[in-house]
Amino acid sequence: MSWKKAFLPIAVLASFALSGAAQAQVKVMIPANPGGGWDGTGRQAMQAMADAGIYTGGVNFSNVGGAGGTIGLAQFQNSAAGEKDALAVFGAITVGAISMNKSPVDLSKFRPVARLTAEYDVIAVKADSPYKTLKDFVAALKKDPGATAVGGGSAGGVDQITLARLAQEAGVKVTDLNYIPQASGAETVTSIVNGTFAAGISGVSEFAQFADQGRIRILGITSPERQKGIDAPTFKEAGYNVEVANWRGFLGAPDMPEDNYKMWVENFKKLSESDAWKKVLQTQGWQDYYMGGDEFGKFIADETTRISGILKDAGLVK
Amino acid sequence: MQGFGVALQPMNLFYALLGSVLGTAIGVLPGIGPALTIALLLPVTISVAPTSAFIMFAGVLYGAMYGGSTTSILINTPGEAGSMMTALEGNKMARNGRGAAALATAAIGSFIAGTIATILLTFAAPTIAEIAFVFKPSDYFALTVVAFTSAAVVMGSSRVRGFISLFVGLALGVVGIDKMTGAPRLVFGRPELLDGIDLTVVLVSLFAVGEILFVASRFRPGHDEIIPIKGFAFMTREDWKRSWGPWLRGTALGFPIGALPAGGSEIPTMLSYTIERKLTKYKDEFGKGAIEGVAGPEAANNAAAAGILVPLLTLGLPTSATAAVLLAAFQNYGLQPGPFLFTSNPDLIWGLIASLYVGNFMLLVLNLPLVGVWVRLLLIPRPQLYAGILIFAMIGIWGISGQVADLVIMVAIGIMGYVMRVYDFPIAPVLIGLILGPMAEVQLRTALAAGQGNPAVLIGTPLSTVLLIVAALFLLAPLLLRRLAK
Amino acid sequence: MSNNPEIPLEGTGSGDGGAAPRPWWLGGAVIALGCVCLYGSAQLPQGARYAAIGPGMFVTVAGGGLVVLGIALLVQIARGEKFEPQDAEDASGHEKANPVALVTALAAAIVPIFTMKPLGLPITAMLSFVLVARAFQSEKMWLDFVYGALLGAASWLLFTRLGLQLGGFLPIAAI
Repeated sequence: MSWKKAFLPIAVLASFALSGAAQAQVKVMIPANPGGGWDGTGRQAMQAMADAGIYTGGVNFSNVGGAGGTIGLAQFQNSAAGEKDALAVFGAITVGAISMNKSPVDLSKFRPVARLTAEYDVIAVKADSPYKTLKDFVAALKKDPGATAVGGGSAGGVDQITLARLAQEAGVKVTDLNYIPQASGAETVTSIVNGTFAAGISGVSEFAQFADQGRIRILGITSPERQKGIDAPTFKEAGYNVEVANWRGFLGAPDMPEDNYKMWVENFKKLSESDAWKKVLQTQGWQDYYMGGDEFGKFIADETTRISGILKDAGLVK
Repeated sequence: MQGFGVALQPMNLFYALLGSVLGTAIGVLPGIGPALTIALLLPVTISVAPTSAFIMFAGVLYGAMYGGSTTSILINTPGEAGSMMTALEGNKMARNGRGAAALATAAIGSFIAGTIATILLTFAAPTIAEIAFVFKPSDYFALTVVAFTSAAVVMGSSRVRGFISLFVGLALGVVGIDKMTGAPRLVFGRPELLDGIDLTVVLVSLFAVGEILFVASRFRPGHDEIIPIKGFAFMTREDWKRSWGPWLRGTALGFPIGALPAGGSEIPTMLSYTIERKLTKYKDEFGKGAIEGVAGPEAANNAAAAGILVPLLTLGLPTSATAAVLLAAFQNYGLQPGPFLFTSNPDLIWGLIASLYVGNFMLLVLNLPLVGVWVRLLLIPRPQLYAGILIFAMIGIWGISGQVADLVIMVAIGIMGYVMRVYDFPIAPVLIGLILGPMAEVQLRTALAAGQGNPAVLIGTPLSTVLLIVAALFLLAPLLLRRLAK
Repeated sequence: MSNNPEIPLEGTGSGDGGAAPRPWWLGGAVIALGCVCLYGSAQLPQGARYAAIGPGMFVTVAGGGLVVLGIALLVQIARGEKFEPQDAEDASGHEKANPVALVTALAAAIVPIFTMKPLGLPITAMLSFVLVARAFQSEKMWLDFVYGALLGAASWLLFTRLGLQLGGFLPIAAI
């Protein structure tokens, strides 16, 4: 058998592959690996935009994951500057990651297009825990913060911000907290159930079903109002003025021409009002958290000051 | 039974076949595993019915395992951590002209492990899923300590050089953002290093690039005509006899550990290799191509792949990257895996489980006849074969990150692989250090933090105590036996 | 990436392999690697409030271990430890190394760093393919160009089709 023959099937496949090459028009940078939350937000939003007939041109996604999105955004900041149609997905985690990693990414250089979704955090304890309410838990936290280990997502992420804000409100020193970051929500939830952690913090979607199964009890949620299907008061109702949202949105390339910028802000505004997008929100269980244009820019600036302040208090940023 | 009705519908059989073929095709590329493949196929889920989509994903999951073992055995290029141990003995077998037997034991072992694991999944899933809640950080730490003993069995001729390899792996493993505090470590201001050095890059560079450099520097044209290819001998009766034990033990290790949130396929494959090496009657064959060293890890790898489905389907708990992507796929359909799915969507669940049997069988049928074809790859003239290997290594590395920095790391670690071959440093301990170091560190620090720094927590559970004793026995037993024998 | 810790730079030139009786630089390289780790860990906290082990501890252990092992290796070398190159398929450890072939193969690995972004995968694959084949003393260079180009183009088409991001087909021409 000649090894040259081995090329034959490859050639057949090649001709099949050629037929499907599409001409892309808008570039979307997703600074995370395929399959995660940001990837879903980016792809579903562009899909819904096409379904609703708002923008039906080609979309060219590129995934560059790592370090809370700072790696992908750093690349985007350099390579896409001044481009007409280049967008990037990012979120609340990016804001913290930039100051933690001393990243060269400067969010104020990008054009703020739209904030789209949010997920709120919940704090939970195991089902037979002595802490029945958020007050009980905070009392324990005050008494001995070291013995009250709390698990959650990555260091400096939204979950740690939630705990730090709760501690500030309750008058506990943030540096005394025993916060233990976990690689995934799965590890946090198992460690709550087997008693390794006194409590755990995560996004609603990761904890809700385990509360339904009766394995954990949710003590509070960081949303402004109570959420349907979650049998727990908000932090505010419980007496702590804490509101934290893990939001996601779109940025435009730095120095994007004004006309294109206006068009994209308008496109996303239309998207947020479209039925196609509402359907996506419903199937994915995402909260609508739309805010567009310059207002969103101001929001990003506020978040930057707020989050880096908290991270400094927690000793994560020097 | 109704599940088989669903899985055997022609359309679904087609999707199972498509998934198996895609999975195998992509599994051949180093670094592109099932998680990424399924993630890339996610957009498909919009236009395909959920049952068909999941049947296809099940095919991808198992198919990628088969593809990965093929490259490990034939061209010594493991693409995933789970097939690293397979390369150690499998490639030696291929070099001795027993590539067909190695591929066959891998394929049949994967089939048996996959089938047993699927039976367990069918009947005992809810019970097995509960162990996920039992394991504490101290137990995970003890488990990594047991797995570290596998470094001892691949140390090679010199302890000093073996330990240097292990510590180089540990050093590479700490690069990047510290998981516990977010502090960057050994990054030296390079943002590309923040996320650490990708395991695939190290794996491919050490095995493939290092090998190409080494062989090129010592290659004599005309040599390849002399290389004996002792026919395409299938497994002999003796191969069967030596394989079935490792298959079953590999399954027993892989399935439960795969079901743990921080389990994965690395630890069971390493443990399986260690155990087979300790139990075998053919000790001197290990390191030269022992079939047990292929059969065990391959079975463990596949059983672990089935194991991840247990907590996902019964609890909605994603325990690995692949499971997390599958969970995202469920959510695309507005479905929430968990105990309720068994009652609300029985067709989907049982169809998926039935398709695991079907897909497994299909892969066996596809792969056994292909063994002969794959082995013929080795008949490609050496210059073009090695050139092709480098191209695939490059595509794998470029395809996962698209970063030039990873290509630079590829060259650097490739040179290291070359030097290690010239001066007889063992390769495997580098990877063991790189894989287990970060796991051990995170679990140790989590356990200690939760116990407020009291080291007693490390033996705080019966399980962790037992595991640490097992690890000690693994290391000390040979020494003690030697003492007693004197 | 000049500060990449894992390159024993001297290794590039020492293609004379097992013939070198006293490879002192090997011990030096291990110690240097250890020192890089220790330097990095010096800027990290070794302890932590509750975990007792801080982010620097493992780095210190890895670096310290490498320094100690490097010294042990130097002692072994001084005592005349033998380094037998490993046997590989198609290559005997006892062969003398061929520096030209080594450098050619190394070039094949280095080329993508410079060509992948501007020239794209298919052309890069072609160049690397020819270089490796050349290192293995293939005599049909023009055929290798064809094989390399075919393999590169076919893999690009196949894997891009499957969803991998491999860049443009020929980015310099904006394709």
